[in-house]
Amino acid sequence: MTNPTDDSKQVAPRKDSTSIVKRTLARRYAAEKRFRFYGATAIAISLLFLVILLGSILVKGLPAFTETQMLIDVTLDAKTLGVEEGASEQELRSANYNALIKKSLREMFPEATKRKQKKELYKLVSTSAEYQVRDSLIANPSQIGQTIKVWVLADDELSALYKTGGLTDIANVTHTRLSEQQITWASSLNEQSRLKKQFNATFFKNGDSREPEQAGIRAALMGSILTLLITFLLSFPIAVATAIYLEEFAPKNRWTDLIEVNINNLAAVPSIVFGLLGLAVFINFFELPRSAPVVGGIVLSLMTLPTIIITSRAALKAVPPSIREAGRGLGASQLQVVTHHVLPLAMPGILTGTIIGLAQALGETAPLLMIGMVAFIVDIPTSVTDAATVLPVQVFLWADSPERAFLEKTSAAILVLLVFLIVMNAAAVFLRKHFERRW
Amino acid sequence: MNTQTTTSGSGTSAASDAFDQLKETVGDVTVTDPKMCARNVDVFYGDNQAIYDVSLDIGNNEVIAMIGPSGCGKSTFLRCLNRMNDSIPSCRVSGDMSLDGEDLYSTSLDPVLLRARVGMVFQKPNPFAKSIYDNVAYGPRIHGLASNRAELDDIVISSLQKAGLHEEVHDRLDAPGTSLSGGQQQRLCIARTIAVSPEVILMDEPCSALDPIATARIEELIDELRQNYAIAIVTHSMQQAARVSQRTAYFHLGKLVEVGSTNNIFTNPQHELTENYITGRFG
Ligand SMILES: Nc1ncnc2c1ncn2[C@@H]1O[C@H](COP(=O)(O)OP(=O)(O)OP(=O)(O)O)[C@@H](O)[C@H]1O
Ligand SMILES: [Mg+2]
Repeated sequence: MTNPTDDSKQVAPRKDSTSIVKRTLARRYAAEKRFRFYGATAIAISLLFLVILLGSILVKGLPAFTETQMLIDVTLDAKTLGVEEGASEQELRSANYNALIKKSLREMFPEATKRKQKKELYKLVSTSAEYQVRDSLIANPSQIGQTIKVWVLADDELSALYKTGGLTDIANVTHTRLSEQQITWASSLNEQSRLKKQFNATFFKNGDSREPEQAGIRAALMGSILTLLITFLLSFPIAVATAIYLEEFAPKNRWTDLIEVNINNLAAVPSIVFGLLGLAVFINFFELPRSAPVVGGIVLSLMTLPTIIITSRAALKAVPPSIREAGRGLGASQLQVVTHHVLPLAMPGILTGTIIGLAQALGETAPLLMIGMVAFIVDIPTSVTDAATVLPVQVFLWADSPERAFLEKTSAAILVLLVFLIVMNAAAVFLRKHFERRW
Repeated sequence: MNTQTTTSGSGTSAASDAFDQLKETVGDVTVTDPKMCARNVDVFYGDNQAIYDVSLDIGNNEVIAMIGPSGCGKSTFLRCLNRMNDSIPSCRVSGDMSLDGEDLYSTSLDPVLLRARVGMVFQKPNPFAKSIYDNVAYGPRIHGLASNRAELDDIVISSLQKAGLHEEVHDRLDAPGTSLSGGQQQRLCIARTIAVSPEVILMDEPCSALDPIATARIEELIDELRQNYAIAIVTHSMQQAARVSQRTAYFHLGKLVEVGSTNNIFTNPQHELTENYITGRFG
């Protein structure tokens, strides 16, 4: 160590400096190498967890995207249906198809004679089978009196067994609520090639249902889309305008400091508090509809606002002041400087903040429980005032259901949620690229 | 550390006495045909005073050079002349400043209009994140100076030509302004300023990033512009001040020490501080 107060200043370079530097060089490179190693390890570990997480969800969820159909021969007997020959479509709609299906099942397995046995037999098809039979009759009403072959949805327990290959090895079946008798029937159906797997369109067409094989994600997905739309439409313009005002126009004084502190605090408020607020203010006071995406959207935008404001302000701050000077020096008004020069440069950052905010909103459940978006929704919401639920709430509801088939639905719903998120992020990346190309 | 300041301080103690005794600017601050006038201007940044009681005229058809050591307030004074300091919250300006007899800081003169009439070229090149063409066309566009595309093209091309940049960029006008070299960027900024046809051009060390050839081109340009504009230029190059300006003002620690014709200042400075500075004796 040289003494800083040493008066004998060395103007000439030290002769040994090269060797000293050389000696420290190895240490510095070693430190760098270690740091790189730590970084790579951290990334590897997080990737590993991501893969495990995604893998387990995929493995559990993918079966939900296929469903099992069963081929049955139905005799469209007018008497059992309870209609006359040449009945109108209206009459055909309200006819008794259940009886037909039961009859055809009994004909397939005449050994089911006792009440209990029959009941078990009927349980092999989904309760929605009657609609499939009805639709094929209405499509061609002249079929009355004939025997037709119809693919109908199988029950979820049978479906689970079939999809996992349990029907080919019936001696070793575990985890099923099917009785031995039912398993025998099912395997005989399988031997007659009366079972098939197909893409589960129902999952994407239907709302929630008590019957797992009929339960779909559509209602929750629409609910999420509508809710996020409201959130985006409310929070993006308000937040960006707030950020621009605070950053570019507002005088820097005690009031704006106070506002800034409060915005930062707001970002840290637990989301359920916003739910309580939404319940008290929007539903009880303003009497907006309960369980509706409009209220969900408002509540979530309250939650999203601080996030977008804070990131937008950071993005605006990062724009070099010389750009503002240049604009002002040419005689641009403050608003022109902001809209022509500052905002385009800050846009990528603002969009990133918006996506982070919306992604948070997309995954939020707690505040939505407070405003009743936890309802059992069968009908697909078509407007923002319809009762709706959202994807994470649907995950929560299904995860809570006792039926085993809901397990795969839960994972499948999570997958849909992730895909939604990826689509949203991709949109943001695309927009960001678009803005960045304009320098 | 302590010993160092004493030793270097003793060399300029005579000069600092001269500075303390400085009450009035040496030389005539007025001109016969003034474009802008500043009288008794004080500028504060918060509690720090950056400019002390400066009075100075900028005449029509003249180039006035402002010289002085770093941190003496040249940029600050220049920025007051088109109210660029408005955007610095801590900055306070007092005294009278006028353009063609109109008070700069009165409410009747809009700062946006003022900046269209008093253009500015900054020390560091700061092109917009837009194409070369749009950089130059921006001013005329927001002020509505061109009624159609052809007129705008004319303005852009002639401004680029005047700034000596046209030849280098004529085949890539839609390339980003930021893709140019530092010197080219500065000329782009000059072209951008001329495109608005201001009456006064303020230049804050416009050539500090330029090579001698580009500098010569800018100096030529300044000479041409003088026919129609009033120009104030801050520079650290004594040679440049001597080459382009008719009058020179020497600033020291926020005070205007001496003003006079460039010739006189450089051959026969009246004040000791001025002499020290231009002979390179200043610490
Ligand atoms: N934005 C600001 N806030 C506070 N003080 C400032 C600000 N800008 C300049 N100053 C102070 O005002 C004084 C004059 O600065 P100015 O930039 O005018 O100097 P200058 O003569 O242009 O120097 P240079 O030749 O280095 O550009 C300096 O002491 C500086 O610290
Ligand atoms: Mg300066």
